[in-house]
Amino acid sequence: MSENYFNSLSLREQLEQLGKCRFMHLDEFGDGVEALKGKKMVVIGCGAQGLNQGLNLRDSGLDVSYTLRDAAIQEQRQSWKNATENGFTVGTYEELIPTADVVLNLTPDKQHTAVVNAVMPLMKKGACLSYSHGFNIVEEGMKIRDDLTVIMVAPKCPGSEVRAEYVRGFGVPTLIAVHEDNDPNGEGLAIAKAYAVGTGGHKAGVLMSSFIAEVKSDLMGEQTILCGMLQTGSLLCFDKMIEEGIDAGYASKLIQYGWETVTEALKYGGVTNMMDRLSNPAKIKAFELAEEMKNIMRPLYNKHQDDIMTGHFSATMMADWANDDKELLGWRADTAESAFEKTPAGDVEISEQEYFDHGILMVAMVKAGVELAFETMTAAGIIADSAYYESLHETPLIANTIARKKLFEMNSTISDTAEYGCYLYNHACVPLLGDFMKNIKTDVIGAGLQLNDEGVDNARLIEVNEAIRSHPVEAIGATLRGYMSDMKKIV
Amino acid sequence: MPLPYSIRVTNATVEFDKGFVCKQINWVVHPEHHWLICGNNGSGKSALAAILAGAGEVQMGIVKDLPQRVGIVSFEAQQELIEAERRKDDADIMDVIAEGTPVTEIIAAVAKDKPLADALCEKFGLTPLLDRAFRKLSTGESRKVMLIRALACKPDLLILDEPFEGLDVESLAALQSHLTNIAATTTMILVLNRLDQCPNFISHLAYMDQGQLTQQVSRKETEAWQQLHGLLHLKKSELKVPPSDADTALPPLDPDAPLVRITNGAIKYGDTVIFENLNWTINQGEHWQLTGPNGCGKTALLSLITGDHPQCYINDIFVFGFHRGSGESIWQIKQFIGYVSTALQWEYTVGTSLRNVIISGFYDSIGLYSKPTDNQRKLADEWLEVLGMKARADETFASQSYGDQRLLLIARSMVKHPPLLILDEPCLGLDDMNRQRVLALIELICERSDSTVLYVNHHAEDRISGIENYLALGDLSNASNQGS
Repeated sequence: MSENYFNSLSLREQLEQLGKCRFMHLDEFGDGVEALKGKKMVVIGCGAQGLNQGLNLRDSGLDVSYTLRDAAIQEQRQSWKNATENGFTVGTYEELIPTADVVLNLTPDKQHTAVVNAVMPLMKKGACLSYSHGFNIVEEGMKIRDDLTVIMVAPKCPGSEVRAEYVRGFGVPTLIAVHEDNDPNGEGLAIAKAYAVGTGGHKAGVLMSSFIAEVKSDLMGEQTILCGMLQTGSLLCFDKMIEEGIDAGYASKLIQYGWETVTEALKYGGVTNMMDRLSNPAKIKAFELAEEMKNIMRPLYNKHQDDIMTGHFSATMMADWANDDKELLGWRADTAESAFEKTPAGDVEISEQEYFDHGILMVAMVKAGVELAFETMTAAGIIADSAYYESLHETPLIANTIARKKLFEMNSTISDTAEYGCYLYNHACVPLLGDFMKNIKTDVIGAGLQLNDEGVDNARLIEVNEAIRSHPVEAIGATLRGYMSDMKKIV
Repeated sequence: MPLPYSIRVTNATVEFDKGFVCKQINWVVHPEHHWLICGNNGSGKSALAAILAGAGEVQMGIVKDLPQRVGIVSFEAQQELIEAERRKDDADIMDVIAEGTPVTEIIAAVAKDKPLADALCEKFGLTPLLDRAFRKLSTGESRKVMLIRALACKPDLLILDEPFEGLDVESLAALQSHLTNIAATTTMILVLNRLDQCPNFISHLAYMDQGQLTQQVSRKETEAWQQLHGLLHLKKSELKVPPSDADTALPPLDPDAPLVRITNGAIKYGDTVIFENLNWTINQGEHWQLTGPNGCGKTALLSLITGDHPQCYINDIFVFGFHRGSGESIWQIKQFIGYVSTALQWEYTVGTSLRNVIISGFYDSIGLYSKPTDNQRKLADEWLEVLGMKARADETFASQSYGDQRLLLIARSMVKHPPLLILDEPCLGLDDMNRQRVLALIELICERSDSTVLYVNHHAEDRISGIENYLALGDLSNASNQGS
């Protein structure tokens, strides 16, 4: 195995790379897809990202074909069907890679080393290799041939949405990066920009980042607030409600759709708006719960970030890859057996406001997780823009997958890398919050405060509001949402 | 006096002079209901009302329990009376100048309620004219005489066909207040062109279309009541299709090249063939109707043209000057197409305003992601005016009725005046009222724009006037028939 690339850099270089993240303006994409016009783009892998990105790129007037492993072609596997039924040319690595100007590696992380080792010798001189995640380069230290350009274009949404938004005439927020060690002709950025235009990403907002910033922030976000916190929160809140005698169907529904509902408020107006959806007494309660949880969980967040920075996390996960994913598959099976997962949502009406009023603890968990992840990332040298996107910004997207089909859907939509990290977090966080949960009653999860008097102390309310509004994730969030609303859907 | 019984018209076909026929009328006029009959010019509004006065020849069905005494005001009745006066004059062979019957006699001949007649004469300012010959009155004055005759004859049923036409302001107010006063005691049928004059006491609307009574709506059915207002609005002859946006004009097309040419077209999924060997050319100005049963691939065929079907890249397709798969983007194709379908309506789930839905037609997007120009906003408002929805411009699309959403999407498809307008089963899933509204809008567009129309439905008989070419797709086979 190669050396961890991040660890091979000096501290100065590490900090420089971690600090890269810039929101690009629409007028920087005036060249459209010109840099890719007439170039041959060959996609490796035809799963959800591969197929949908390919459909978008072709509809933008680009030349797209697919290459699959021999076995996938001979056995006419699903990936072969996906590509051929959509009218794409499909060929083996040997047939198509040598013709490619750009090779789009859209396979799962764990296949990257094998795939890149197979295609690299076949690639023509001066061609471009594109990733949608930097793990292979940063964590596995894959060394790419010097004459090849290496870029990353990562739409920050599941493949189905990448397509659906394009068809509507829009796109999804996209992160692009150029691997500076592999930009021999200085054309990496132009290609990455044209690629983002081809998938429609430029309309929804493009972040110019680095391979390192992407990997280190992406791993941290997905393990902690995005997937880990939602999984732990789902399990703890459900079990508590059952313990307290809340109807199981109601409890299941409150959680399954509750995350989506409360984080929708987050999307529009950050933590402030999410908290403002609560009554004054409930807001103060949620604030106090979140403060308590932040104190309890801070060491765990620090540990996750440290393990990501040192490469301990990736080494642990790669050991499981080498062991046929034994841990991952076992943990996945355990999740499927959890009481929350096995209890269908009841046929009860829950109004949008009720999700807030009866889910005070869930709101507190989202607040604690978003703020902690943001604080931990920025403390580790990741700049606020990246930290915002990998914490607050993506939470509603993940919550949406739980609304669709609970934790199973979330874990099958996210990458295996995210899923592995999510389970690590969950295993540590559930016991960590054990004592805290003992004092939790249905007033904050399941039934609401049910106060006769909604009155609060003025001084306390001012203090709480000030604390919520002055958190640094709110400042950067307001700025970035401001950029986004210039170009996003006019809602 | 209200009607003693309900008047029942059952499956009646009634023929009038000049050959006009009211067909298959089913209608019950209840004594406590006040109807307003509306519809296009020539749709048979007046004829329907006249049936209740015993006019026309019942050829089929039953017209039962017609009232004894009907007070009627209409241009026809007015003309008849004037005509009768003139004949009286002609019949006079004596060599004296006939003065004609004075107004006072004309009124007294039928007015059973003398005090009421006098009071109305006063209100309508007719008192100074009572001694004048009826045939010397102006149109407006003779109209007032007709009104007084009808109102003062103690009718079982009052039929007022355009009673407000040609009245001066004071008389109009007097009439309206009188009608409101007698509403509790007199059954009334009004025929009006303009629904904005609909009095509050009207309890039911009847809508006539080509001699048929197609809609009957009670005021209690709020939504249908509104929609019928909308339908009548669309039928107004003075509506104009707003122009295209001069600032975002489409690239010019070669006038001699076909809009679409598909050669040996096919769509296959694995071994399943939806259709194959399909050859089809759509020339500019050549309207087509595409028919075929469910599942025969109509929508799939259309999506080859619009670029929404991924297999458009493995077919030999020429559209708007592009050979598909030669480096063009779908947005370069879509800019020439206006498209409406039920599927589009299902997909149009973004929470945006009615104005923005229409503007999104300029960008071929679902939702609006670009800053519109002032002119585009202005044009969108003009379209909302056509739809009768201007007051709702800022409401959300999702909160509109299903039928209103469809109308909005049709307007969206037309804002840029596309060279090709594709209407994929535009009436699918609509009730009859909304179907009529949609067809009214489509007819308006077909008549007043230059777009080539491609109309799809699975009822071959459901044709739109002006379409001369037909393509019928077979039932899951490769058979297709073309004809003109």
